[in-house]
Amino acid sequence: MFGQGLLKGLAITWKELFTRKVTVQYPEEKIPLPERYHGRFELDVDKCIACGLCANACPNKVIQITREKVGKKQYLTRYVMRIEYCMFCGFCVESCNKGALRFSHVINMNQYFRDKVRLVLVDRPVPEVLPEEEPAKAADGSPAETRGKTARAEVAAGKAPGKEG
Amino acid sequence: MKTQTYVLNMGPQHPSTHGVFRIILELDGEVVVKATSVPGYLHRGIEKLAEARTYTQVIPYTDRMDYLASMLMNWGYVAAVEKLMGVEVPERAEYIRVIVGELSRIASHLVAVGTYSVDIGGFTGFLYCFRDRERVLDLLEMVSGSRMTFSYFRIGGVADDLPPEFFPPLQKFLKDLPSLCDEYDGLITGNEIFQARTKYVGIITPEMGIKYSLSGPVLRGSGIPYDLRKVRPYGVYDRFDFEVPVGKNGDCFDRFVCRIKEIRQSARIIQQAIEGLPEGPIMAKVPKVIKPPAGEAYAEIESSKGILGCYVVSDGSTKPYRVHFRRPSFINLGYLDELLVGWKIADVIAILGSLDIVLGEVDC
Ligand code: SF4
Ligand code: SF4
Repeated sequence: MFGQGLLKGLAITWKELFTRKVTVQYPEEKIPLPERYHGRFELDVDKCIACGLCANACPNKVIQITREKVGKKQYLTRYVMRIEYCMFCGFCVESCNKGALRFSHVINMNQYFRDKVRLVLVDRPVPEVLPEEEPAKAADGSPAETRGKTARAEVAAGKAPGKEG
Repeated sequence: MKTQTYVLNMGPQHPSTHGVFRIILELDGEVVVKATSVPGYLHRGIEKLAEARTYTQVIPYTDRMDYLASMLMNWGYVAAVEKLMGVEVPERAEYIRVIVGELSRIASHLVAVGTYSVDIGGFTGFLYCFRDRERVLDLLEMVSGSRMTFSYFRIGGVADDLPPEFFPPLQKFLKDLPSLCDEYDGLITGNEIFQARTKYVGIITPEMGIKYSLSGPVLRGSGIPYDLRKVRPYGVYDRFDFEVPVGKNGDCFDRFVCRIKEIRQSARIIQQAIEGLPEGPIMAKVPKVIKPPAGEAYAEIESSKGILGCYVVSDGSTKPYRVHFRRPSFINLGYLDELLVGWKIADVIAILGSLDIVLGEVDC
């Protein structure tokens, strides 16, 4: 009989009417993200040794690292990601063998202005001495140390520092 | 009465071209006299970009060719580099590749089936396919962290092992998949209007299919059971039991039905791959800096659109000297101009949709 196929289709859509809906009301409701989700980057400044492996692994030269020599060690002063060129491939995170660079679950990265897009993960002045080399001085809260702490706290909260490069 | 033909420009922005693609149609009334396809609007120069990247760094760019089946695009490229270097991929990695590759194929075919339904005018079928495609993307997201551009393959293996939370939803999806396919068949394939629009339309004869070196469901719709996974198995495909669905008439309908049947077969392959998944490493022992010996290699895999070939030339440095991709969509599109002649305007959409092209891949 002609039209049987149409009726069968209607039966399927009719059945679907009574199933659970698959969409959610974003942004009020959110779908849980998987563990490995490639969201915004976060950097654990304490773990980062400014080796630059991540910047080398990047196909698009997204990561810009500035470091200064303090005492015998390299000190990371600026870590900027030109996130507008990022493909979220994850090669940088994979290449970091200190586990300093990670993906967070922050997906909301849209900005109204282009110059706000750039992601500054670290921006701090060079301390005269490295904090761990002079524990006494670090304890009384030298400016450099405070700045480092703030940056760390902000990263931990999954929020980029307000200042954009 | 003296009549003359006129020219109608279809695209580049036309929803049924599935991207940016233009066809210049010369029409006699409603009938196509001549068709000239104009691709190139999405050209990004991926092959050239690859020359300025290291071997590993090319992988994310391959994602952006057929972005509906990124895993398979990754596979084609890494297979060529592995061939060049003579790397033996560990067994577990091969099985993982099969699982994610077939999932990618399912996702790609779901888009093909769904969008074809829209092209013919049935919006409901589209939504059903996309509802289920989300489930595949959820699974692949668990594995790779991304929903579309996975960059999951590495030269010598895969980036990460399958997470334990991946298996229960995968099993559930595989269990549901046959009934979901029945839904598409009931909604779209069995629909009389759909059949009237697609049956005996845009017939590709087996001879022409071979002459134009078509591949994938476009060729198999014409009745030629040519599937690289079967005729020239790569990886571990020779260990799985599956069929290669073929069509009879080589019309739009057969090509469409082939894809739904392939989804069912992919589910079978995944099931076998999960059962046979061996323990072991997921990466071969490759040096940190990949420096293949000077030479060239060509590897082919069966992607969702057809045969994806990748040709890599090395000059012994850390960057490829030349990379070329044989993109199945592009080759399949080569027959379009001839195929369209003699059909009506409305059939142009039906025929183009049945070829299932992705412009990211056509233009590369
Ligand atoms: S995710 Fe990829 S493109 Fe983005 S910064 Fe990391 S390596 Fe570069
Ligand atoms: S994030 Fe990791 S790879 Fe990048 S500079 Fe720091 S330690 Fe090195």
